[in-house]
Amino acid sequence: MADRSSTAPRREPELLPHQEPAVEKPARAPRNGWVGRPIERKEEQRHVRGRGKFIDDFKLPGMVHMCLVRSPYAHARITRVDVSEAEQHPGVICTLTGAEIAKLTTPYIEIGPDPSARIQDYCMAVDLARYQGEPVAAVIAISRGAAEDAAELVQVEYEPLTPVMSAEQALTDADVIHPAAGTNKVWQGTFEYGDVEQAFRDAATIVHIDRMHFHRFSSTPLENNAIIGHWDQRDENIRFWCNNSFPTIGIQLVAPALGVHIDRIRVETHDIGGSFGIKITNYPYMTLCALASRKAGGKPVKWTETRTEHMLASAHGNERTFLDTRVALDRDGVIIGIDSRHLDDCGAYPRYEPLGCVIWTQVFAGVYRFRNARINFSQAVTNKCPVGPNRGYSRMQQLWFLERCVDLCAHELGIAADEMRRRNYIRPEQFPYTTPNGCIYDSGNYPGMLKLAQERLGWEHWKKEQEKGRAEGRLIGLGIGTTLDSGTNNFGQSRIVNPHAPFSGNSQAANVKLDMYGEIVVSVGSVPQGQGHETTASQVVCDVLSVTPDMVTVRAGFDTERNVHTGHTGTYASQFAVSGLSAVHGAAQKLRKELLRLAAYALNAPEDQLELGIGKQGAEVRVRGTDRAINYWGLANIINVNNAGLPDELQDVTLNCRYTWRAPFKIPDLERKYGNLTLTYSSQLHIAVVEVDTDTGNPKILDYCAIDDCGVMINPRIVEGQVHGATAHGIGAALIENCAYDDSGNMVASTFSEYTPITSVNIPNVKYGNMETPSPHSYSGAKGMGEGGAAPVHAISAALQDALYPQGIYITESFNNGDSIFSMLAARRQGRSTAGVRTERRAK
Amino acid sequence: MYPRPFTYHRAASLKDAAATLAELGPEAKLLAGGQSLVPLMKLRLSSPAALIDVGHIQGLNYIRAENGAFRIGALARHTDMAQSAAARHVPILHDCAAGIADVQVRNWGTVVGSIAEADPTGDWAPVLLVLDTEVECLANHGRRSLGLAGFIQDAFTTALRPGEVMQELRVKATERGSGGCYLAFKRCAPVYASASVAVQLALEGATCRQARVALGAVALTPVVATESAKALEGSDLNAKSIARAAEAAAASCEPPCDGRGSTEYKRALIRKLFTQAVNVAARRARGESVEVSHHYA
Ligand SMILES: Cc1cc2nc3c(=O)[nH]c(=O)nc-3n(C[C@H](O)[C@H](O)[C@H](O)COP(=O)(O)OP(=O)(O)OC[C@H]3O[C@@H](n4cnc5c(N)ncnc54)[C@H](O)[C@@H]3O)c2cc1C
Repeated sequence: MADRSSTAPRREPELLPHQEPAVEKPARAPRNGWVGRPIERKEEQRHVRGRGKFIDDFKLPGMVHMCLVRSPYAHARITRVDVSEAEQHPGVICTLTGAEIAKLTTPYIEIGPDPSARIQDYCMAVDLARYQGEPVAAVIAISRGAAEDAAELVQVEYEPLTPVMSAEQALTDADVIHPAAGTNKVWQGTFEYGDVEQAFRDAATIVHIDRMHFHRFSSTPLENNAIIGHWDQRDENIRFWCNNSFPTIGIQLVAPALGVHIDRIRVETHDIGGSFGIKITNYPYMTLCALASRKAGGKPVKWTETRTEHMLASAHGNERTFLDTRVALDRDGVIIGIDSRHLDDCGAYPRYEPLGCVIWTQVFAGVYRFRNARINFSQAVTNKCPVGPNRGYSRMQQLWFLERCVDLCAHELGIAADEMRRRNYIRPEQFPYTTPNGCIYDSGNYPGMLKLAQERLGWEHWKKEQEKGRAEGRLIGLGIGTTLDSGTNNFGQSRIVNPHAPFSGNSQAANVKLDMYGEIVVSVGSVPQGQGHETTASQVVCDVLSVTPDMVTVRAGFDTERNVHTGHTGTYASQFAVSGLSAVHGAAQKLRKELLRLAAYALNAPEDQLELGIGKQGAEVRVRGTDRAINYWGLANIINVNNAGLPDELQDVTLNCRYTWRAPFKIPDLERKYGNLTLTYSSQLHIAVVEVDTDTGNPKILDYCAIDDCGVMINPRIVEGQVHGATAHGIGAALIENCAYDDSGNMVASTFSEYTPITSVNIPNVKYGNMETPSPHSYSGAKGMGEGGAAPVHAISAALQDALYPQGIYITESFNNGDSIFSMLAARRQGRSTAGVRTERRAK
Repeated sequence: MYPRPFTYHRAASLKDAAATLAELGPEAKLLAGGQSLVPLMKLRLSSPAALIDVGHIQGLNYIRAENGAFRIGALARHTDMAQSAAARHVPILHDCAAGIADVQVRNWGTVVGSIAEADPTGDWAPVLLVLDTEVECLANHGRRSLGLAGFIQDAFTTALRPGEVMQELRVKATERGSGGCYLAFKRCAPVYASASVAVQLALEGATCRQARVALGAVALTPVVATESAKALEGSDLNAKSIARAAEAAAASCEPPCDGRGSTEYKRALIRKLFTQAVNVAARRARGESVEVSHHYA
């Protein structure tokens, strides 16, 4: 049996190295049912008809509106906040200032250890504003317009301080952003495995890369953050209607900040217009809405974020700088060691951080075989918008780093890009593969994906085009990006950043019941934002109960009071196909067992002669091969409203079955930073063909291929949709989307006119392909997917490198646009070198 | 959207709009398609005390040929233009109209409003500058007509006087043997250009008899690149003369270095767009039907 640590007494971290895969092989699902079919999404009808229910659609009786006054400065002391004029404005009910917040709440729990645990993070700036757009006052009024008008009357005096605009600058501690912590360093640790020194002694070649940089971007969900908070004065209960995508963590932070029992908080989510992880950290705004509601006399308070607010002050993805990287290679170009220093910039407050300081190690080795590596990882606060777990969270930075290393080494050593990958990939026969840091890759076939991608793309054709083009002075490059999407994470990894963190494992709950007239109703407390959970959950249930999807109602969305949940419930980190659907599957199986037992009694037949199916009166249980049957209405009727005389052995039947699925994880070895951190590893292989205009530097994607392997697909249409979405996000990130700041700390892309999120005119025709290596770690063989590892960023960086290597240009930035490439080309033409990459060949 | 408070007035006619404007003074603004004004009001970058909505006036969305000119009514939308006979006859009008932002913006935004806005990165001004365009203005006390070049005075500033509205634009129909092209570089669909080039050529045999060149988004107002046009005139449009003219175009502006790119990068864009635009314009002048699309990142 797998270890179920929540039923067993809490055990101390296991210090033995995990030699054996820590994961048990579940029984495999049959392959001829609803699971695996590309059926239309149940959600499509309402969304296409504009009948979705989003938070801004909710209008509650007596509801009032909040508008926030935000800091124009990235770093400033707040010397005075005067709300008197605003409070006189017609329609204004009340205001809130930082000084009040400091009295009414305690700072949020910090996940990190001392001294970053001493950071005081409130839902509003108290005495220091630490990023442009940080809330400094709130105005609550009968209409949003009145609140906006009055907000302009709030007078705030600031004393500007030096903005700290990069992790490198922050780590000098010349200007400390959080005086209570005394340092800008949030976390620091060394991840070292194998024998790094020996690897470098053995190396035939060492490639040195001075500096690489992964830029800040966001996923710009279509719907911004939106919250209604209601502090009911009759019973002192607090209710939120919101689009937070990980509400269990949200309320675990909000409740202590407000000093209330978590049981008094009810959170509901409904349709959500995208989150990509960005909405996980909207809980400070939940806190504000609750306080505003209380001060407004118990009226519900709505806050809907504007796009500018979203760009300035929701959350951005993590920015990371890679310094002093050395890669050791053997004579065949096989990487045998990596040594590097990584600095992560988490913005003004850690919030979900420093979890990102360990989450990247889920893909420590990427798709490669090397065993010796040392990465010194630090994270710092800066005067930028706090980061949030943006699609591909913390892993895409590491994957990009590794992809750049492999790619630069290939060029330096003169090894063809595809050949270099093949030499370094983990081999198909090595699965399940235990990485140097103890993660267990469940399944995969990277060389197979490469082959498929090359065929789909027409690699040979493009190689010829490249050669022809080069002869004409054209700059065409082919780039490969191979990535992982690690899903269903082991919360125990939080202990690597803070041994006292009270989290581990992973769990999801589901409930499947027959309602009184025999309707099949599935509840999953997940928080879908377009992933089609209602559809995939129904497919799973259909296979267990032998019904069709139209007969299954799925209640997705979070509701603390009315829907099932565990403390891990949410929709994040590519897991629903494994964790959520395993819970649904477990609950459906429980119901099936009850149905059979009950039907055996009702039909007076042995259970093993019964079968489930659809008859003339709908879903039924019948005696195999006969028309003796009882339909679901009949069965539900017996249990719910017609239960006199029910025999003793059926007294436990409820037809209302809950199942909690727990991932079979152990707590990692904290000393060695070793253990299995995620259950499944989807993989992606993208190839981009990019031409750089020699005159302007403008890059243009000539062809593009995306291959995805997420094991058994529950619904291939949904998978393909996720791949297209992730591809668009990644292309946007690689070429046009950049949360840039100027030196004074102004966010220069605070509107869509400047941030330019990707549109259809920027997206090439994507050649999509799929591979299937079933996961031995999930009952269905599925692997979580949806984030996609930012494969386009890696593939496009590599393609640009391939195009520009002959020009003496190294791609060491994840963001490249015409302007930046133009300036690199211009620098080369003037003979200036663009970046420090050095290859040291050693006599071996 | 949460603009500052304003009063709203619905105009029954343009004359009525002009009268109301004169009465309400400089704090009042006309509202046409709202595709420039509303986003600015939403961000509170513009806060007129009064809006005079001309959007409900019937019969102003015309684009008609009359006396060798196309008259573009004050409410002709970008979409109207893209589908008009004028755009079929003068392809550069189609290049511009069909390439503005997205369908929603094109269905609301007007050509006249775009000129009235005088956004330095707007698409219409360079296009209408390489054609012969007159602006018809209307005020309480009468009408006047101005050349477009004189009408655009500065970034977001026109020659409109207090109480004066634009009634229509008059674009002279091009002659046989004349062809034009408008190309912009945009980072994504619904954003303004990083740089753009409008070219209108008249050919006589293989020789360029007359050329007009205007550049967008590279200065506070559209740049009429006279030197560049001169470099084309009299030439047979071979690669060398086009390159010389492209160089002259790039040299005729000092593009601001901003989030869209550096000065030199934008000059490079101008050269690139120019070269393609001249080639397309020449083919069209020879009677070929050529479809083009803007360049996107
Ligand atoms: C997302 C987005 C992207 C866009 N991208 C582009 C682009 O790439 N290129 C481009 O060129 N444009 C672009 N636009 C702007 C669009 O073209 C507008 O339609 C145009 O600039 C203004 O026309 P309008 O009818 O909407 O004018 P309004 O916004 O209603 O008015 C604009 C200004 O003109 C004044 N005005 C309007 N009509 C008259 C009149 N008859 N007399 C006097 N003054 C008048 C108004 O008072 C106001 O000051 C974009 C707009 C949006 C929202």
